[in-house]
Parts: sequence; C-alpha cells; structure tokens
Amino acid sequence: MANVTLTKVGKLYEGDGGATFRAVDAVDLAINDGEFCVLVGPSGCGKSTTLRMIAGLEEISEGVLEIDGRMVNDVPAKDRDIAFVFQNYALYPHLTVAENVAFGLETRRTHRNALVAALTGASTARGEESAVIRARVAEVSKTLGLDALLHRYPRELSGGQRQRVAVGRAIARDPKVFLFDEPLSNLDARLRIETRTELRMLHRRLAATIVYVTHDQEEAMTLADRLVVMHKGRIQQNASAQECYEKPANRFVAGFIGTPPMNIVDGHLKAGAFVANGVSVALGAEHARLGDRACALGFRPDRVRLVAPNAPSSVSASIAAIERLGDRTDVALDSPWGRVVARLDADATRALREGEAAGIAFDAAHAHLFEPGECGGRIVV
Amino acid sequence: MKRSPLANTMLWFVLIMGTAAFIFPLWWMAVVSLETPQRAEAAITGSAGISLFPPSPQFANYANAVRETGSVPWMGFIDALANSIVVTVLVVLGTVVSSSAVGYAFARLRFRGRNPLFLVMLGTMMLPGQVTMIPLFLLFRQFGWIDTIMPLVVPAFFGNAFFIFMYRQFIAQIPESLVEAARVDGLGHVAIWWRIVLPLCRPVTAICAVFTFIGTWNDFLGPLIYLHSDESATLAVALNGFKNQYGGLEDVHLLMALSVLTMIPCIVLFIAAQKTFVEGLARGAVKG
Repeated sequence: MANVTLTKVGKLYEGDGGATFRAVDAVDLAINDGEFCVLVGPSGCGKSTTLRMIAGLEEISEGVLEIDGRMVNDVPAKDRDIAFVFQNYALYPHLTVAENVAFGLETRRTHRNALVAALTGASTARGEESAVIRARVAEVSKTLGLDALLHRYPRELSGGQRQRVAVGRAIARDPKVFLFDEPLSNLDARLRIETRTELRMLHRRLAATIVYVTHDQEEAMTLADRLVVMHKGRIQQNASAQECYEKPANRFVAGFIGTPPMNIVDGHLKAGAFVANGVSVALGAEHARLGDRACALGFRPDRVRLVAPNAPSSVSASIAAIERLGDRTDVALDSPWGRVVARLDADATRALREGEAAGIAFDAAHAHLFEPGECGGRIVV
Repeated sequence: MKRSPLANTMLWFVLIMGTAAFIFPLWWMAVVSLETPQRAEAAITGSAGISLFPPSPQFANYANAVRETGSVPWMGFIDALANSIVVTVLVVLGTVVSSSAVGYAFARLRFRGRNPLFLVMLGTMMLPGQVTMIPLFLLFRQFGWIDTIMPLVVPAFFGNAFFIFMYRQFIAQIPESLVEAARVDGLGHVAIWWRIVLPLCRPVTAICAVFTFIGTWNDFLGPLIYLHSDESATLAVALNGFKNQYGGLEDVHLLMALSVLTMIPCIVLFIAAQKTFVEGLARGAVKG
C-alpha cells in the first residue's frame, strides 16, 4: 500500500486550430496510505481524467505525480503497480473468471520468469508459481463469493457478478493503489447500494489505498474517508464528507453535496438581514458585522421550518408540490426567493395540501453565506 | 410468417433451380471422373450426350490419377500435395498474422500519417493483379526467388489490404477499456494484440483464413508463373499437367478425378468454418 501525491497536476488537450482545453487544472492532492479517497463532481469536471492520469492511461501535461514517494509521471501504467476497475468492467471476454482474475499475475510472472531465465539460464519453479497463482485466485474468489463462477465466461454472468470479477481481478494483484472509475454506475439501484457497502467493508479488510471516481454524491459521501469535490477541472473542496456537508467551501460544493440540494438564494446583506427580491429576513447580530454586501444565502432543506404565512422572520410562499417519502416529506414551495425545498418530518406534514400558503423560516445559525458567483467562496460568520 | 402455397411452391422452385445450377458442374465433374476414358472424352467433346450417372463407375480412375500426377508415379502427387499444403499453410498464417497486426495498428495506435497511410493501403486494392504481375516477377527474379515458394509466400506476410480493412473495422469495435485493462495488467502492444485482440477476432480470422486458404489452394496463375520444375509444382499446376502432357483429352477422366480430390479440403474447411462465421454473427447480435 502507498500514498499518492499530486502536485499542480494538469491536463491539456489540443483542440482544432491550436486551441487548448484544460480538462484538469493545477490539482493538488495528497492521498494517505490506506485512505479511501473519492473524486466526485458533475460529468466533465475532470475527475475521470485525474484518475486516468494516476493510472498512467492518460499522459500528465503539467505537474508531478508521486506514488509511494516516487515520481511516476513517465512510468508506464503496467509499472506503477496500480489496479484499475473500469466502469464497463473490461473483463476479457475470451477468458474464464479464473483466468481473468489470474491474468495480471500471469503476465507479471511471465516478465519476471523471462528475466530470471535470462540471468540464470533456467526457468525456475514455474510449477511452483502456478500453484501460488492458483491459491491466490482461490483466496480472492472466496473473499468475493466467486467460487461457483470460476469456470464461467463473462458473457454468462450478471452485471453484479461481472462487477465482482472486476474487483477480484484488481485485488488478486495486491497493488499499491486501487483505482475505481464509476464501478457501480452500470448496476441497478438496489445492487448499487449493496455493493457500496461491500466495497466499504472490503476497503477496511484490505487497508488499501483507494481512489474512487463517481458522479453520485450520495455514493461519494458514504464511501469516502476523504471527499474531493471537483468542478471545471479544479478541486473545489478536499475534506471529509461530513465537513463538505456541514461547511461547504463554496457555493458549488454546497449545491452539489446533499440531497435534496441546498436552497441557495442570490441577494445581499443589509444591516444583519438578508434581502432578496424585496423580501428581507433578519439573520443576527454577528451577520451585521459583515457589513452590507452582495452575497448568496444557503440553507439545507432539513433546516427549513414551515410557519404560518406572514410570521415574523419568514418568507411567504405557497406549496407547489408535496412528496411523501414515508418517514419524511419533501415540500417544494414557490416564494419570492424562488423555489425552496423543505424536508420535514412526515407527522408534521399530514395536514399540508398543495396550493396552500405557508411561511418559510430557518435558523440563522445553520445558514451559509457565499460570495456571489457560481463558485463563490464561503463567508465565515 | 405464413406464405401462400403458391408462393411457397415458387420459392422452392427458384431455390431448387438455383441449387441445381450451382451443383451441376460439380456433379458432372464427379460423373466424368468415374467414366471410362472413351465415354469421358465423348462427353467432353460433346459427341455423346451428358449422362447424370456413369453406367459403370470406374473407381480405379482415382488411383490412376494419383499415380500419374507429375512425372514420377505416386511421388508426383505426393510432391504436389506437399507443395500445396506448405504454400497454403504459410500463406494463411502470414495473412492472418500480418493483417491482424496491421489492422490493430490502424485501429488502436495513434501515429502521424495514420489516415493517409490507411487510404494508400486501401488504394492498393484498386490495382488489378495484372498490372503488378510483371514488375513483381522482375523483382523476384532479382532476388533469385524463381522456382522457389518465396514469391508465393513472402507477400502474404506483408498483409492483405482487404483483410487489414476487415480486421481494422472489427478491432475498432472492441472497447478501449479492454486494451487499457491489458495495459494496466502489464501487456505491451504486441502482447495485447496476440493475447487479447486476436482471440476476440475469431470470426474475422475464420473468414480471412478460409478465403485465403481457398484462394491459395486453388491458385493457378501464381505457381504457374514462379514454379517451373515438376517437383515444385502445386496441385493446381499438376492438374494442368494432364492436359499438357498428352495434349488431347484422352486423360480427361483422370483430370476430373484429381480435380475432385483437390476440391475436398476446401469443402471440408468451408463446412467446418461455417459454424464459426455463424457463431461470430450471432455473438455480435446478442452482445449485452
């Protein structure tokens, strides 16, 4: 196992007519030994490109990549001692499950044997190594419950089984770093959640360094020791999942992490109150110290309270839609602040009807303020 | 789909007529190969009618044909058969190996001038063989390759434009991630081609191998131009010996007998490989 360090890593693509496109921009990232690091962001944010640069499948345009303290920018993928799990699994269709799992071991053996044979003039212990590989395949397949499938071909497996084989192939080699590129996105919702839990347990058992890419923020939050939120080729926040949720570094992270997403309203601060579209809500004395300035206000749906229309410190709204989820209810409200979503306790919402008037209130202590703009930074109160 | 009885009858009629038209020359070849020399000559010259069954099959014709191939009894046939096998196997091997390797390069490697090169390669398909025949002959004569199998075999190891094109199209459909997985697993391009791509190209390889086999096995012009001595002749050229040697048609029954024997490997191979073609087509269709 090893740590992975990216220093000012960037990826430039040459477009037509000499124009360059910067897919990854000056990414600084230090992943510790045994850490489960998840890169998350919308499609096109550069997360997969970053992962592929770590793997050696994509050339690094700028910056330095180190695995285990060794700079590997120009080291080919096969010599980086990494394992890569692809979104479509990339199992070799003409090989059985056992052969797929053993493949990486076999190729490595061939290389080493060739070298040993060249140096000593004897092909040593080939049978012994075969036995070692067989034992390793058996061990891995037992871990992943693949025993019964070893002699099947990939085309005879279900999506979930293929996914396991892909993980098995990665584990078998016992690499320094595991790289996962959206490995669950081809599974159905239920299986995705099950496999997610298994991956988490697997990580604990292997104590492996894992870099994992996904666009699903829920998957990212449940898996990550370290969550790296990316957007437009840049890291927006690099922290624990909990911290990204509670203290989003900027407006993008605030809107991306959490379901339903945070309510964010553009407006300005005026004498300790937030004003948007002519409607003002007092925040508190400490907010007054920030002065009068343009900013965005964010508050999470589960921090919203519904109060009587026209109650003090509330925003009048009408209920646009009610989504009952059993234990809780999501209420979408139309207000002068735009569409606001409230996540409420189911018991408290039984009497609510769509079309009714309501007041939106929230606790200023749990509100977030951001600088204006798409990636406006967090304003510390 | 339900067809009316009339449509069915029409369909069957057309199919049977088509089959008969294709089968008849082969059938007649087999019939003549079993005739007596007199009847065979009469049938070929048209002085007697065509019979669909030989009245008294002369199975000894086959033994005689084999014995009288070439100038040395029995050995002439063995020589020709061995030559045919060696040339055909080498040409099939060379064509499959080189065409798939070049197809892989065109499909998967990025290099300067790839597309122009590909067009040039496709352009060579437009050249009729007759145009290159004489320059090639002069070239191979310079090499001192006349009366060796080299002129027949060596070009195969430099690829065949049509099969390169087929391989390229097929390989381009193989997911990029498979190649990347192999790279991570420690393979270089040669190993990826040999261990991953080639096994996946089985349907193309079957088509390439069968067509190359049939083309080479039956090739008459190539061996006729380059192989002069009796011992180096292939079966296709040796067949022609029955005509040259005696000038007339008195041995046409032997010619037909040897023709039947020569055809057998092609038919067997075609039937055997048919399954792979179909399998390849079916797998492509249900890929999930």
